[in-house]
Amino acid sequence: MSTKYTLGIDIGSTASKCIILKDGKEIIGKSLIDVGAGTSGPQRAIDEVLRDAGKTLDDMTYILATGYGRNALMNLACKQMSELSCHAKGAAFLFHNVHTVIDIGGQDVKVLHIENGVMVNFQMNDKCAAGTGRFLDVMARVLEVKVADLAKLGAMSTHRVAISSTCTVFAESEVISQLSMGTDKCDIIEGIHHSIANRVTGLVRRVGVLPDIVMTGGVAQNFGVVKALEEELGQKIHTSPLTQYVGALGAALLAYQETIEE
Amino acid sequence: METIINEFKEIAANPKKQLAMYKKQGKKIIGVLPYYAPEELVFAAGMVPFGVWGSNNKNISRAKEYCATFYCTIAQLSLEMLLDGSLDDLSGIITPTICDTLRPMSQNIRVAMGDKMPVIFLAHPQNRATSYGLKFSVNQYTNVKKELEKITGKEITDADILESIKIYNASRKARREFVKLASEHCDVIKPTVRSAVLKAAFFMLKDEYTAKLEELNQKLAALPICKWHGKKIVTSGIIYDNPVLLAALEDNDIAIAADDVAYESRAFRIDAPEDIDPMMALAKQFANIDCDVLLYDAESAKNNRGEFVAKMVKDSGAKGLILFMQQFCDPEEMEYPYLKKALEAAHIPHIKIGIDQQMHDFGQAKTAIQAFAESL
Repeated sequence: MSTKYTLGIDIGSTASKCIILKDGKEIIGKSLIDVGAGTSGPQRAIDEVLRDAGKTLDDMTYILATGYGRNALMNLACKQMSELSCHAKGAAFLFHNVHTVIDIGGQDVKVLHIENGVMVNFQMNDKCAAGTGRFLDVMARVLEVKVADLAKLGAMSTHRVAISSTCTVFAESEVISQLSMGTDKCDIIEGIHHSIANRVTGLVRRVGVLPDIVMTGGVAQNFGVVKALEEELGQKIHTSPLTQYVGALGAALLAYQETIEE
Repeated sequence: METIINEFKEIAANPKKQLAMYKKQGKKIIGVLPYYAPEELVFAAGMVPFGVWGSNNKNISRAKEYCATFYCTIAQLSLEMLLDGSLDDLSGIITPTICDTLRPMSQNIRVAMGDKMPVIFLAHPQNRATSYGLKFSVNQYTNVKKELEKITGKEITDADILESIKIYNASRKARREFVKLASEHCDVIKPTVRSAVLKAAFFMLKDEYTAKLEELNQKLAALPICKWHGKKIVTSGIIYDNPVLLAALEDNDIAIAADDVAYESRAFRIDAPEDIDPMMALAKQFANIDCDVLLYDAESAKNNRGEFVAKMVKDSGAKGLILFMQQFCDPEEMEYPYLKKALEAAHIPHIKIGIDQQMHDFGQAKTAIQAFAESL
C-alpha cells in the first residue's frame, strides 16, 4: 500500500496553521503564520508547510480545511469541517484519555466533551471577546507589554487584584483605573488571567468537568491562564507544545480517515 | 409546486410590497405584534391582519430614543419600522403585552405613534383557563373589537367572528399538515422554504393563504416520502427566519422534523371551538394553548413543557434539537434550564445558539451548527 500524505489546514481569526501527516501517524511538516482568515496567512502557511515537509500539493492524498476561514479554501480542500471536530480529534491523538478540551482561540472559546476520541457535546462562548485571546491582546496593549510576556510577568505577582468585569471594554477601564492608582502591572496581569479563567470555568461547568482536561489554542501557551484555570477548576490541565496546531492536526487526521473510508 | 413555493418566498421576503398591495386594493390593514392577538377579529372586521415581528434588514436607530438596550430586537425593530415609515400603510396596530418587554413597549408605541394611528392595547390574563381568566380575555377581546369597529366604521357581528374562526381553524390545520409534510418531503421543503411558507401567513389574508397552502400540501402529499440521508432536528425559540441562518442548516444537510417556535408551530397548535359563543371561543383558544414558554403554567414544577418538547423530538424522529435563543428574551432564557433538563433526561443532544435580528455575521452560529451536525 502506498504512503498517504494528508494536509490539515486550520485558518483561525488571528493565525493560519498547517500540518502534514504521513499515513495518519507521523507529523512530517508544520507551519504557523500569525495572521488568519482574509489575509495572505493561509497561502503562506500552505507554502511553508509544503516546504517544511519537502512535498508538493500533488503529493497530498487528501486536504481538509477547518477554522473560521475554512470556507475560503474550498477550491483547494477536498472537504471542510468545523474546528470543534478537528480539535477533538487532534486532542484525542495527543492525549488518549482526554474527556474535556478547552480551546481558547483568538476570538472565541469552545469547550468540548469527548468520549472515546469523539466529540459528544460542546459549548461555545457568546458573541463576546471576554475570555478570548482578543481579551489578552487588548489588555497587553493597555499595559504596554507583549502578549508573549504576560505569563512571565503574571508569575511575579505578589498581590493579585480582582478584575471583576466580564466585558472586555469594562475590564479595560478597570485595568486603566488600576494603573492610574499605581497598582503593580504584575498584579493586574495575574488578575486578568484569573478573570479569563473565571469566565471560561462557567462554560466548562456547563459541559462537565471531566478529566483528563486538555487545553488547546494559542492562549494555552500562556501558563498564567492555564494555572489560573487549574485553580478555578481544581483539576490538572494538560497542554502540548503543539497546542496551536491541534486544530490542523485534527484536520489532517480526519483527512486520513476520509482516505480510508473512500 | 415550484410556482407556489416561489410565491410564498416572494411574499415572505417582501412584506412591504404585500402591505402596499392590500392598501392599493382599498383594504385597511392592522398591524399585529407578538403574541396571541385574536387576529380573527381583524379578519372578521373585513381588514387585513399584518404580522409585525421585527425585521432582519434594518438597524435600530430611532427606536433607541424609546427603548432600553436590553429590549429584544424584535420589539425594537418593530418600533423602528413604525417610526421610519415602513408601516405607514397600517390603519392601526394591536399591542399584546405577554412579556416584560412588550408591556412597556405597548406604551412606547402609543406615545411614539401619537395621532398617527390607533394603538390597541391588549392584556392577556395569567390564569387563562379559569372562569375569571376566560371572562378577562373576553373583556379584553371586546375592547379590541370595539377599537377595530371604530377603525372600520362597521359593527363586527357574531356571525362575522364565527366565519373568521372557521377560516383561521382551516388555516391552522393546513399549517400543521404542512409541517408534517415538510418533514416527510424535506428534500423539497428545505429549511429556507419551510420558513418562507410559514412566514408568508403573517402577511396574507388567511383565506388566500390557506387556499394556496392547501394546494401545496396536496402536491407534496402526492410525492413519495423522501429517504433523507442527512440529519433531522427539531427547532425551538421565538423566531429564526434569517435566510443566512437557515442556509447554514441546509449547508450541513439538516432538515427540520418539527418545531417549537413561536413564529411557527406555537402560533397554530390550537384551534378555537366553533360551537360556542365566538368571543368565548377565542378566549378558550388562548386558554387551551399549553406548554409554551410565554404562558403561565400552574403546574410548572412538573416540567410539562420540557417533556412536551422532548417528546416532540422523539415522535418526529429527529436526532437532536437546536434552540435559537433570542437575545434578551427573558421567558426563553428562564425556561432554558428546564428544557435542558428534560432533553438530557431523554438523551436528546441539543445546542443553544444566541441570535438577534441585528446579526449580520453568522460565523459563530454556522460553526456551532456544523459542529452539531458532525456530532449527531
